[in-house]
Amino acid sequence: MTDWIRWAAPVAVVASVASPGYGYAAQYLTVQEAQKLAFPTANRFVEANVIFKPADAEAIEKLSGQRVRTRGEQVWKAQNGDRLLGFFILDYVIGKHLVIDYAIALEPDGKIKQVEILQYREPYGGEIRNPDWLAQFVGKSSKDELEVNKDIINISGATLSSRHVTQGIKRVLAFYEICLKENACGR
Amino acid sequence: MSFHSRDSDISRLNREASMRVVTVDPLTFRVLETARALFELSGGLFDVTVAPGLQRLGLLPVDEPAPLPSPAPEANFAAAELLPDCAIRFHHPAIKIDLGGIAKGFAVDRAVEVLRNRSITGGVVNAGGDLFAFGTEGHPTHIRNPFSPLRTLCRLDLTNEALASSGSYNPPSKLPMAPSAILDPTSQLPARRICAASVRAPSCILADALTKVVVLAGEGAGPLLKQFNASALFVFATGDVLVTSDWKEALPHAA
Repeated sequence: MTDWIRWAAPVAVVASVASPGYGYAAQYLTVQEAQKLAFPTANRFVEANVIFKPADAEAIEKLSGQRVRTRGEQVWKAQNGDRLLGFFILDYVIGKHLVIDYAIALEPDGKIKQVEILQYREPYGGEIRNPDWLAQFVGKSSKDELEVNKDIINISGATLSSRHVTQGIKRVLAFYEICLKENACGR
Repeated sequence: MSFHSRDSDISRLNREASMRVVTVDPLTFRVLETARALFELSGGLFDVTVAPGLQRLGLLPVDEPAPLPSPAPEANFAAAELLPDCAIRFHHPAIKIDLGGIAKGFAVDRAVEVLRNRSITGGVVNAGGDLFAFGTEGHPTHIRNPFSPLRTLCRLDLTNEALASSGSYNPPSKLPMAPSAILDPTSQLPARRICAASVRAPSCILADALTKVVVLAGEGAGPLLKQFNASALFVFATGDVLVTSDWKEALPHAA
């Protein structure tokens, strides 16, 4: 058994500054910042990652109509003490070639509370960071259509990122239904 | 073993091994065998098939004009078959490997071997922070504070051992801190919980590779470290530091 010794934070933690300091890969929010923004009254974020069994991935694909390409989802339960305030899910989609990191905050019943773009790497299509565009998703659940040019407005010049983020959100809502609602997934 | 060079063993593997058996240099094959052992012993956490994930994050260059293939979780190192006579075959079209997480450590070990073969009794080979100190005299080394680049976390005296470090270190000229290039195999996204790790081990190839496992698994890497007679220090993104007990003396204010 390895003995670990903890040495509490003598290091100076430099607060992350949202500025595009290098090339196009601007990091707008850290995970901690996005969690606090989504759930301001939470005092704990408990890791509750889910690793898919093949049947889980198939069920999510069937419900959402979207391919599942990862082995699981990164989830935190937002809590105030022991009370569940909702779920914070870190997911990604591909824009044209490069990854878009984003996070979805869900109410305990699976309705979207907030969507935040954490990191956008491509030179075009970043208009999806517009809060008005992201606000379209608030209140949506897996019962909603979630399709660009239907219930979600497309952004001209950001067609691929709009479509792919919308599809990702649809897949994550299906993931909630299959895995989080009943806590029924994984090994 | 370079991902960036078109004629390297790795580039040839990435282009052709999913279609036919490819033969590589014996040294490349040794690194792949070590990578295979670590893949299995780390439960898949150390996986050199991270190249497509790194390309999608803009951390490795993209050679072809065509769009990158979609992420495929089953295209991991388990689908790479190591065959006799230094031959390899990939059993999935989307597999691409990058040895950036292990080859530098291997190169350091080979350089030390050359020096020892020439009867040099003591010295240090340092490849930009992945190093091996051999001989009877301890080699003083400082580990940089990942949050504050001009400050150090601790000082070690390395004697006949390797030290490697991985993670995001805030370069003096840049804010905010660049995300780590160590990908969590499940999410295919950079590790965020732990931002830096250093490992001491009997060889530099092991130290180099084990830093990735420590960044991804944290305390969970304990048994694997023990198995390889290795020890580690790692830093959470929150600022707390964890070390294995044999590093206690190195920390300035440890209780």
